[in-house]
Amino acid sequence: MILDALVLQSKLFLSEDMDIEILKTDIVDNSPDKITLKDYTSMIGTGGKLNLMIVISFEKEILEHLVELFMDGEEVEEEEKEEINDSVSGETINTIIGLSLPIFPNRGKGVTITPPITISDASNIKKYKNSKIVTANLVTEYGCISISAMGDKNEIK
Amino acid sequence: MLKILVVDDSLIIRKKVKKLVIELGHDVIGDAKNGEEGIAQYKALQPDLVTMDITMPDMNGIEAVGHIIKEDENAKIIMVTSHGQEDMVIKSIKAGAVGYMLKPVTQDKLAAAIGEVFGEYAVDEDGDLDILDDDFL
Repeated sequence: MILDALVLQSKLFLSEDMDIEILKTDIVDNSPDKITLKDYTSMIGTGGKLNLMIVISFEKEILEHLVELFMDGEEVEEEEKEEINDSVSGETINTIIGLSLPIFPNRGKGVTITPPITISDASNIKKYKNSKIVTANLVTEYGCISISAMGDKNEIK
Repeated sequence: MLKILVVDDSLIIRKKVKKLVIELGHDVIGDAKNGEEGIAQYKALQPDLVTMDITMPDMNGIEAVGHIIKEDENAKIIMVTSHGQEDMVIKSIKAGAVGYMLKPVTQDKLAAAIGEVFGEYAVDEDGDLDILDDDFL
């Protein structure tokens, strides 16, 4: 249910707000013990009534395309490039989770979210103790985005 | 012309809001990337309006609204937020914010949010803001 909500809202955000075509969606359902990260990654933690770690990881080309769209034709200064990339990655996950909350269990009531955190120096996130990882890969015309959620087996479903 | 302070931890959103503010004929007099900086900037710059993100590190937008309103009960603060944060918006309004705007931020949404706060207005050729809505006055 959590992953379904995230995938649905990611698709809507990418296709309707960003005009990016989704070519394929792959659900990874073999209970991986780690989340494999792509070129740019942001993570948000949810708390309160739902404790999860949600991770969205982007291939370079799709993130660069999102940056172009967010910048609305404005040039990115070289010294700002890294911060802009992080900012777009963070804003994208923030938007997708915000859109998904109303279709989380109990309409997301009582769920809090942290500000996005950029992960730049890791290639994997290992599963924590008895948690479960669910992942979906969205293949777009500009490359792949993976969306993962890690949390208690009962909460994540 | 309104003097506007933009508070958001996201560089891309600060850039976007600042661009739209200028396109609407107003002046960006400062920006801040968290609530603490926002409060300091408010005290120093005394803007006519603040656009304030909710989820930020160090101090979130709701706390910042509370501090600013304590400083200036007439402060005009518009929350900029994502869908799904309605509870947070309500808390912000209770803390003293006067309006909100859902992301993605667009010129129409920003103009509407400013219009809600200041009533109908027009910017004259000298760059001054003329209030057209008697109810506001």
